[in-house]
Amino acid sequence: MAPRLPAGWAASLSLSPSTVLTTRILLIERHALLPRTAKRGVKYGWSTLPSRSRPARFNQVSSGLPVPTAGPAAALKRKEATTPLRTGVLAVKKGVSAMFVGGLRMPCTILQMEQVEVVAAKTREKNGYWAVQLGLGHKTAGNVTAPLLGYYEAKGVAPKRHLAEFKVRTEEGLLPVGVQLQPDWFKLGQFVDARSKSRGMGFAGGMKRHGFAGQGASHGNSKNHRTIGTTGPSQGGGSRVHPGKKMPGRMGNERVTVQNLRVLKFDNEMGIVVVSGHVAGPKGCVVKISDAIKKDPPAQTFIDKARRILLERNPEAEAKLEQARLRHLELKEARKEGRIGEAMAATTAATITATATESATA
Amino acid sequence: MMLQPVRRPLGPLKSLLRRNRQAQQFMARTMATETTPTASEMAASSSIPPPPISTLAAKKPSKFHVIPSKTPGKPIRTAFAVYAPPPSARAAHPDALISYHAQQIRRLDRTGTRTALFSKKNPDAAKPGDVLQVTTNRGEPFAGVCLSIKRAGVDTAILLRNHLTKVGVEMWYKIYSPNVLGIEIIWRRPKRARRARLYFMRKPRHDMGNVEHLVAAWRRSRNVFSSNKGRGTQGKGGKGSKGSK
Repeated sequence: MAPRLPAGWAASLSLSPSTVLTTRILLIERHALLPRTAKRGVKYGWSTLPSRSRPARFNQVSSGLPVPTAGPAAALKRKEATTPLRTGVLAVKKGVSAMFVGGLRMPCTILQMEQVEVVAAKTREKNGYWAVQLGLGHKTAGNVTAPLLGYYEAKGVAPKRHLAEFKVRTEEGLLPVGVQLQPDWFKLGQFVDARSKSRGMGFAGGMKRHGFAGQGASHGNSKNHRTIGTTGPSQGGGSRVHPGKKMPGRMGNERVTVQNLRVLKFDNEMGIVVVSGHVAGPKGCVVKISDAIKKDPPAQTFIDKARRILLERNPEAEAKLEQARLRHLELKEARKEGRIGEAMAATTAATITATATESATA
Repeated sequence: MMLQPVRRPLGPLKSLLRRNRQAQQFMARTMATETTPTASEMAASSSIPPPPISTLAAKKPSKFHVIPSKTPGKPIRTAFAVYAPPPSARAAHPDALISYHAQQIRRLDRTGTRTALFSKKNPDAAKPGDVLQVTTNRGEPFAGVCLSIKRAGVDTAILLRNHLTKVGVEMWYKIYSPNVLGIEIIWRRPKRARRARLYFMRKPRHDMGNVEHLVAAWRRSRNVFSSNKGRGTQGKGGKGSKGSK
């Protein structure tokens, strides 16, 4: 059913030109005086009828219909097997070298985990999926926008240089906010996938970008040695270029996943993870390392152990988060009411008093 | 060419001194190097985790970030509490790759002789143009003129060229590989090569050809100083080099 129109919608059409002009002027005058509000609402033609697409009595799942194969629930179910059990980590590519493992030389990439912290947990109830949001590095507060400063304030975490999400299979894969991940999150010798952005090559031709063969140097070829040639059949074939035809264009600077790299070494003190083989992107690029989806995950005992160690290193994470959240609410209220200056002064005074008390007791 | 001695009157003296020094060193035979492959890397680094870093102090909201206002009477527009970041691995190890190289070289070259043999700081180090012999844990030792040294930390490699059965052969050797048992300087180029990569030596005009005569001379000179001279098997590269260190 089309939305209803107001009763007098055709009245303006039948008016004489002079009247239309006056009406317009009047309208402008009225708009100039009144607040600029759009003409919206039920009385201007919006329908208040319930949505016709809602499941009614006869297309309920319980009425013997098959379970839908599309939609968020079906998507999560479908991707369950390839979603890792636990989160991966963020790291910075530092360079490429080699490692001698038992007389065998293995090319390897050195990745450094710099202040990798859990910033948020995405849940099925709220976001539609399970994921861990991680932050990497540090950003000066002056370079962070005010909304994000509020976000980090509420999490009790210092502003991060990069943020990324890692989907996990179930709720068990989530981690408390504020815990710091170390390289020993991975098991030595386990397989990981590395995702990063490849080096941008700029605008490249078909030969470089897609490995086309190019054309002959001679035999009457004229100024078409590196061109791509034909882009499709002629009349009868549709006389069109098929979607996805490989052509010249921007090359690189796209996300590349390198699967099944072995973890050769990790060092918590240096914060490095050394993986076999090469990872896409230049030195200094951000790499997402996670358990390989095409190999068995590390043993459940190891996963539990890594988690236990992580929680031992970051005690009372939940309590700290709650504290930060409450404080954030207080400060937010203060900001709204314009008394953030007093709130700051009070906090500083309290800190000074606490320090003085501590030093006095000591 | 004629003007050169005028400009550098002490030029020949330097090379003479160098040759003299090397001749003395040659008698001492200290350049033979040997590395023992250590326990596997898996066992070496599984002894982590280190003590946990206390994050309790780091979690304190240390300061406020104030966003100033442009209104004259109101200095502060808004402010946010900013928490202190955790300790930075990057600040402690700004160049992780160099640290990695150092760590791996420590593991593979305990005595440091292999590093010294190719160090730029060592005036008596092996240089491009010298004839080197590499003994591996399989097959005959390979001798050849060093065309280039690719310096890449633990992945440092040398390129040797020789002629075997009148066919030019080039071999890359990773100097820190556990499979390389020893590297020895067979013959020194009398004058320092003025290029770092001697790829021109592949051309027939500059090719050294087979270096077997240099190896034989080196073996003979070693036999003079060994206790049981006259035994032909003594000079066999790898064994001699291993015994000398």
